[in-house]
Amino acid sequence: MRIALCSTYVPFINGGARNIVEWLQAMLEKEGHQVERIYLPQWDAPDILFQQMAAFRWIDLSAADRVICFRPQAHLIQHPNKILWFIHHIRAFYDLWDSEYRGFPDDIRHRGVRDALIAADDAALNEAQRTFTNSKVVSSRLKQFNGVYSEVLYPPVLAPERFHCRRFNDEIVCICRMEHHKRQHLLIDAMKYTGTPVRLRLCGRSSGPGYTQQLTDAIRDNALDERVILEDRWISEEEKVDLLADCLAAAYLPLDEDSYGYPSIEASHACKAILTTVDSGGVLELVEDGVNGFVTEPDPRSLAAAMDALYLDRDRTRSMGEAAQARLAELNISWSHVLRRLLA
Amino acid sequence: MKVLVVNNMAPFVWGGAEELAVHLQRNLILAGHESEVLRIPFQWEPATRIPSQMLMVRALELFNVDRVIALKFPAYLIRQPHKTLWLLHQYRQAYDLFDAGQTNLPAGEEGEDLRRLIRHADDESFRESRNIFTNSDITRTRLARYNGFDAKVLLPPINDPERFTGGPAEGYIFAGGRINDMKRQHLLLEAMCHADKEVRLLIAGPPDNPVDALRLVESVERLGLGERVRLDLRFLPRETYARYVNRAVAVAYLPFDEDSLGYVTMEAATAGKALITAADSGGVLGLVHDKATGLVAKPEAASLGEAMSTLWQDRSLANAYGLAVREHWMSLGVSWPATVEALLQ
Amino acid sequence: MKIVMFTPVLKASAIGRMARLVTCELMRLGHDVLVVRSEEGDLLSQEAHDFGLAPIAWNDHAAVTTATAKADLIIYQVGDNTSFHRGCLEWLPHCPGIVCLHDFYLGHLFNGWAAHHRAEAELILRHWYGSSVAESFFELATSAMFMERTWEAAPMTEWICAMATAVITHSSWGIGRLQRACAGPVRVVPLAYDRGSVDIGQERHGGDDGEGMLNILTVGYVNANKRAASVIRAIGSSHLLRDRVVYRLAGPIKNTIVHELAALARNCKVRLRVMGEVDEAELSRAFQQADIVCCLRWPSLEAASASAIEAMLYGKAIVVTDTGFYRELPNAFVTKVVAEDEAATLRSALERLGTDRALRNVLGELSRDWAAETFTAQNYVEEIVSMANTSARIRPVLEATAYFRRVMASWGNVDVGIDPASDPRAMFLNIASADGAGPAA
Repeated sequence: MRIALCSTYVPFINGGARNIVEWLQAMLEKEGHQVERIYLPQWDAPDILFQQMAAFRWIDLSAADRVICFRPQAHLIQHPNKILWFIHHIRAFYDLWDSEYRGFPDDIRHRGVRDALIAADDAALNEAQRTFTNSKVVSSRLKQFNGVYSEVLYPPVLAPERFHCRRFNDEIVCICRMEHHKRQHLLIDAMKYTGTPVRLRLCGRSSGPGYTQQLTDAIRDNALDERVILEDRWISEEEKVDLLADCLAAAYLPLDEDSYGYPSIEASHACKAILTTVDSGGVLELVEDGVNGFVTEPDPRSLAAAMDALYLDRDRTRSMGEAAQARLAELNISWSHVLRRLLA
Repeated sequence: MKVLVVNNMAPFVWGGAEELAVHLQRNLILAGHESEVLRIPFQWEPATRIPSQMLMVRALELFNVDRVIALKFPAYLIRQPHKTLWLLHQYRQAYDLFDAGQTNLPAGEEGEDLRRLIRHADDESFRESRNIFTNSDITRTRLARYNGFDAKVLLPPINDPERFTGGPAEGYIFAGGRINDMKRQHLLLEAMCHADKEVRLLIAGPPDNPVDALRLVESVERLGLGERVRLDLRFLPRETYARYVNRAVAVAYLPFDEDSLGYVTMEAATAGKALITAADSGGVLGLVHDKATGLVAKPEAASLGEAMSTLWQDRSLANAYGLAVREHWMSLGVSWPATVEALLQ
Repeated sequence: MKIVMFTPVLKASAIGRMARLVTCELMRLGHDVLVVRSEEGDLLSQEAHDFGLAPIAWNDHAAVTTATAKADLIIYQVGDNTSFHRGCLEWLPHCPGIVCLHDFYLGHLFNGWAAHHRAEAELILRHWYGSSVAESFFELATSAMFMERTWEAAPMTEWICAMATAVITHSSWGIGRLQRACAGPVRVVPLAYDRGSVDIGQERHGGDDGEGMLNILTVGYVNANKRAASVIRAIGSSHLLRDRVVYRLAGPIKNTIVHELAALARNCKVRLRVMGEVDEAELSRAFQQADIVCCLRWPSLEAASASAIEAMLYGKAIVVTDTGFYRELPNAFVTKVVAEDEAATLRSALERLGTDRALRNVLGELSRDWAAETFTAQNYVEEIVSMANTSARIRPVLEATAYFRRVMASWGNVDVGIDPASDPRAMFLNIASADGAGPAA
């Protein structure tokens, strides 16, 4: 089949939104499909939203037998066989409207843009043959805001067989972009209250120098240099496999994220327990407290207690790691399932 | 610097321009920049859809980009304050092909209007670009003639010069590149009937479609050339292709009126191989100077056969042409580092 | 709400008078209103209606840009006069807003604008009405019968409505064409009328010319579609009316028409009094003295008729043509004439009213009460405000359209529209439909 994968991006910014597309492409090509990947730039400023949206309505992909659309506003593309793997709305106009992330005034003009956007989205969503999402959170938003039913199709990671468990050292690893809403600072704070020699390793790249500097200062000011390692770079896939193979557990505590996040899936493949918080959003679709990891309050002391517990009760830490792997099968997180559903 | 290479996309079609964009990206990264390729789908059929496809490019917003290097129409219409064009193609059906009657634009007023729109949009893009380079002298001449803009020619470098080391000849004349009517491999087969019986020919490369392949296979049989000609009609791994070039007595390449020097000729020149081409091969003649860097025959079987025989018999002459063509090619200074530097001026 | 209102403000503009009422009402309700005066440059210094604020001029580019960028709602008062509405045409394409449509026919407005935008104008004509209309339009524009010969094939209404986020019209005349052109809702709202200007004197029953004569009045610019000749013929053909009627015409009139009508009146033995252009006091007196006001139109091309509304507010029995705006006036107290059978129906209407003073009084009072309740700024403003959200929703689509129009213009304005299906308004069609487009109940 000729399959076009359509998504949007901001040039030179890498994120999970590219992974889902590019990994699917690799899997489809492996199955013998011809795949074309279309990324177009998209910028969410209210004043120029609709002229960009027009661009998506004009794209002609009739050469494809099927198109699969990901990040907004790729779902506006017109095609008789349009499948959506919808990963989020332009959130400032949806669930983040009543938050500090809106970034423009709540006035008639912007409410007009919002209402127009929702109407345009409704229509485009309804054009699709099938709509999948990457999480329950996104599915329920589609229902709530657009009245659209969708099926959750959890995105797997590329070549999950790479991940394995070698041993359990004393280190909790957190491998993701270093950004404020990923809350590495909370983990550093927690390290102040731990009573065991448990260690922490933070790996990832930041979009600007500010947050990394803040973390570096926090480590120094609290004399945590001995027990906290901060690697301010994009680590290689091989390094990641090794770190997960050897670590004690993995931590991932984004603030109210839509999906469970690749870091937690990768840890699960490596049979490692996951440390997260009650307000991490989609991560909670995967992690159950005391079963395949710990879900704590988002405060340093609660996190510290969980970190100590991971360090002290190794048997339990190990069995939670095994449960983490079992949970993947339970949720049907596999490429074979994904391909079956997307190509149905 | 964050450099975005902007190119068109005809979905599910991958060709020379796509390769060029990827190699440009790779070499920008090698030069220490961040680089990505943005490919914008372009549908030019029916022609009445062209305006919306142009507007689509103009509607896109680029943030977080320091430089744009754009290659083709309409991708180069994209808005960015620091845009450099490395022009591979305008919409030729609105320019020289229109004049030649080979256009998909509708006849009459409507077609004229579309053509004017395209020219105006082009002019605007050329004006707002910091620098304009073209990939060949022909593209440069067209740009000057139709739009009145000056450009510098920036020949596309070959992508893996290290593979083309040259080497001792192993007893065949090599004809590489895509297989189709315009590249005239069939003419080489006819030429073989006029050449000395010792001459051996290897034709290798990907046929554009099965008919092109079949035609060559049948000709070999019909002309009784089975003993003297080898066909390897497929997409060749680069290693195989480079080996074919490096071990050849000479390299024959006779496209009809090609725009550019041609990768086949540039790679053969890098390997120090004498070239055989035809007088009507266009841009290729920029490298093949008759009786200096190779032989330029008439586009006829007899003349081509004679050229093949000459080089086959006089290996020292072939070697001398080979050295000369390499020298000439090197003197042009076409390399990726120099190209990247020019594009980022 | 922050509201920007584009309107002519000079005294000579009746639309300006209405816009003043609407503006004052908006401010009374606490809205933050800025008025942009839309007259042609040489009229900008003329005396203005009192808006209770200082308007800015449409050609003060910086001020208008700042104001519109911050506005929640932009309103354009549009009528068929380029000199008065120039600023609306300048800004509407870039800052889409609600259009209050005062005339269905906008041929003169368009023709005036086209004088400086000929190439674009031809594209617009072709787009809406096809090439044969496009080719003949500007030739017709020089003829005396310009309006009569273009109002149906090329009223230019669509051109303006397509740029509007919503349209308020004052009658459902031609509303189908408005709806087809406008991406947003189209609503019929009774014109806001200034009751305060109607000086209701004691002599509201007219008949006071000392001769016991019956006074019939027609007000406004006297041209063929006001049907003055028909009124003269109807009076002349009636033995009940001929000898006891004085027919007055108040409003600008060309000499040739004066002569034509005078000759006709002489032949029909009808007492005709051509008053010409009158000032407000004279007009008021004319209304007061009238027994019957004839507001006939054929064809009828206004969104609403100020003279009919004013006559009703003076408590006069009115006779109208059963068409357009007039058709929507209540049958119970407005007497309607059938255009196709004008001579007979007009004569019998005038006879019925002319011979029954009590009937005239009753109908006049009913008219007055109804008009006073209907043509109010309160109602008008309520409707405008209720359209603000829908207007804001259409705005981003029209702004995108405007962006692409500018890009096409920068590419030489050659005659290749993007095909209709590629028009952003067509691509995002459903945006308006969530709010029931169409006339308000």
